[in-house]
Amino acid sequence: MVNSENTKAQMRKGVLELCILSILSQGDAYPTEIIEKLKETKLVVVEGTLYPLLTRLKNTGLLNYRWEESNSGPPRKYYMLTEIGETYLKELHLSWYELVDAVNKTITKQ
Amino acid sequence: MNKTVTINISGIIFHIEEDAYDKLSKYLNTIKGYFSKADGGSEIMSDIEARIAEMLQSKTSAVKQVVLMSDVDFVMDNMGKPEEFAGDEQANTQHTSNSDYSEYINNEPVKKRLYREGESKVLGGVCSGIGHYFGFDPVWLRIALALLLVFAGTGVLIYIILWIAIPEAKTTAEKLAMKGEKADINNISKAVKEEAEQLKKRMEKYGKEFSSMANSQAPRNAAEKIVDFVGDVLLNIGRVLFKILGVFMVIFGVIFFFGLFTSVFGMTFFPNNIDGKEWIDLLLLDGKDFYLGILGIAIFVGVPVIMMIYGGIKILFKINYRNRWVNLSAGIIWLVGFLMLLYVSIKTGTDFNKTARVRENITLTPNDTLYLKMHETPVNSDELNVSDNAEEGEKGFIINRRDNNYLIGTSNGMKYLLGHAQLNIIKSQTDKVELVIVKEAKGGDKRMASERAKNISYNVSQIDSLIQFDNLFKVNNADKFRMQDITVILKVPVGKVVYFDKSLESIMYDIENVTNTYEDDMVNRRWIMTANGLKCLDCDGISDVLNDDDNSDDESNKNVKISVNGININAKDVQAKLDSNGANINSKKK
Repeated sequence: MVNSENTKAQMRKGVLELCILSILSQGDAYPTEIIEKLKETKLVVVEGTLYPLLTRLKNTGLLNYRWEESNSGPPRKYYMLTEIGETYLKELHLSWYELVDAVNKTITKQ
Repeated sequence: MNKTVTINISGIIFHIEEDAYDKLSKYLNTIKGYFSKADGGSEIMSDIEARIAEMLQSKTSAVKQVVLMSDVDFVMDNMGKPEEFAGDEQANTQHTSNSDYSEYINNEPVKKRLYREGESKVLGGVCSGIGHYFGFDPVWLRIALALLLVFAGTGVLIYIILWIAIPEAKTTAEKLAMKGEKADINNISKAVKEEAEQLKKRMEKYGKEFSSMANSQAPRNAAEKIVDFVGDVLLNIGRVLFKILGVFMVIFGVIFFFGLFTSVFGMTFFPNNIDGKEWIDLLLLDGKDFYLGILGIAIFVGVPVIMMIYGGIKILFKINYRNRWVNLSAGIIWLVGFLMLLYVSIKTGTDFNKTARVRENITLTPNDTLYLKMHETPVNSDELNVSDNAEEGEKGFIINRRDNNYLIGTSNGMKYLLGHAQLNIIKSQTDKVELVIVKEAKGGDKRMASERAKNISYNVSQIDSLIQFDNLFKVNNADKFRMQDITVILKVPVGKVVYFDKSLESIMYDIENVTNTYEDDMVNRRWIMTANGLKCLDCDGISDVLNDDDNSDDESNKNVKISVNGININAKDVQAKLDSNGANINSKKK
């Protein structure tokens, strides 16, 4: 019996970066908000995946962050897109649509 | 009823049940272990902790204040297992093909490190930790250490140093690293192979770069490559040398410590076996100073030795963890030892500050001829038994005044410091025969010094025309060794005669006379005091013997004659003549 779970997880991981950048393009958010939005779309299974990814995107200069006090919990780290991040996202968008088209054509031909 | 622990995550306080706490802290440590090598690992960690704090906050309220096991499980379910998300990200950051790399990460054996085992410890967990490291039962190590203890107590020291140097395995990651993969033959050969493989790859890489360098147009880049390569090689050599240094530090440290320990032990408990202990007693004012001094030396030398072993162990086992109080307290203890030594030496040294001279004048009955000799019973042989040191081989030396050394003698169970007196004869300004005994000693102040000087005992006695001297002066041990000295000056009026007995030679010192005769030729002769100084009365006709230098010159002049006529050589078997007739040599031998 072939387990499809692993393949699904890999597919989700592949587009996670694009999704995070897209969420942030709609407005600054802190990790919990990002997670909630991703969970709505069932893109994230475990939250742990998000943190290393955010740190890496920040370190490569696509993201930036600011601290904001929270009245209930620890201070929140609000992430935002940098200029580089925005151009990068546009490129990703284009290639995403190309990919979706190509994949759809391939699949429907079968 | 359950016990709770108070913890702080991201600055928020939580009360958490003990078993839940254990699970959560293990979980966090595992994540930390995964991210410790990644870029920005600590940042990821604090982000995750902030999220966990938020989640736990949503699970607690004014009514339910305590974090339960189920809450921790909820956090872990949401956050996911560290192996689910951490390995991936590392793969991403490395930009290598995904599956390959994570596989490599997961299969790589946990690098083994030396830690103290906190769970199955007897004392500090040193033995069990080392047992884990080398993969044997710590019981044997404990037995070995106990045996070392019986021998000289060195085991205790080594144990304590290891205890301080090796960190305890506290987190899960550390515990894993402690147990690691056993360092058996298979693993070692595997590690060596991997190392060789890597080296080969590196060499190939450099080789390619060098060959492409030949047609490259960027020589600066090539130079950089060479620098890189050389740096790489040097770094590896440096690492090996550093390890060797560590080995030497430990070995020599242990040897030094053993030597120091046994000598300090011996000096403390069997002080009378020390060579020259009597001299130390004569130098130090107080018996306690001796022990203070030994303690001072033990600390002053011992602390650096212990730190050497400590440093060596840290180098050998790559222990990076720093313990600030170790260095600090070692420094403070060392300073205390130094101060002890300083105290003892200053206390002793200042007791030599002042010099005092005390004169004793004795008027002797005048006689036309004074016979000077040593007392029949010399101080060193009959009255006192000269210490072992003086008897062994050095006897010839110590009798001589010119060497000015001191001895130790025992009389009636009392120890005495003995020294050589010196005798000088000068012209008296009056018509009386006077004897001046100058006693000299040092002390912390003038009063103490003159007190000590007065206490020196030295006897001169007169029976009619016979004046007898002590060969050595005597100092009571309580007066210590403080450069005591005795000079006896005999003032002889002009016209009086003195006779030096042979026995007196050892105390006669630079006695001036008109013929500049040395002491060994002055003895057994009569000398008259003239206005110019002492003059020999019995030396007529034997002046040749007295003037050795002239004598030898005469002798050679008989054999070799150099004159305006030429050179004449008259040896035992050969005759040579060099003059206006030419060279003429006659040999008597056929």
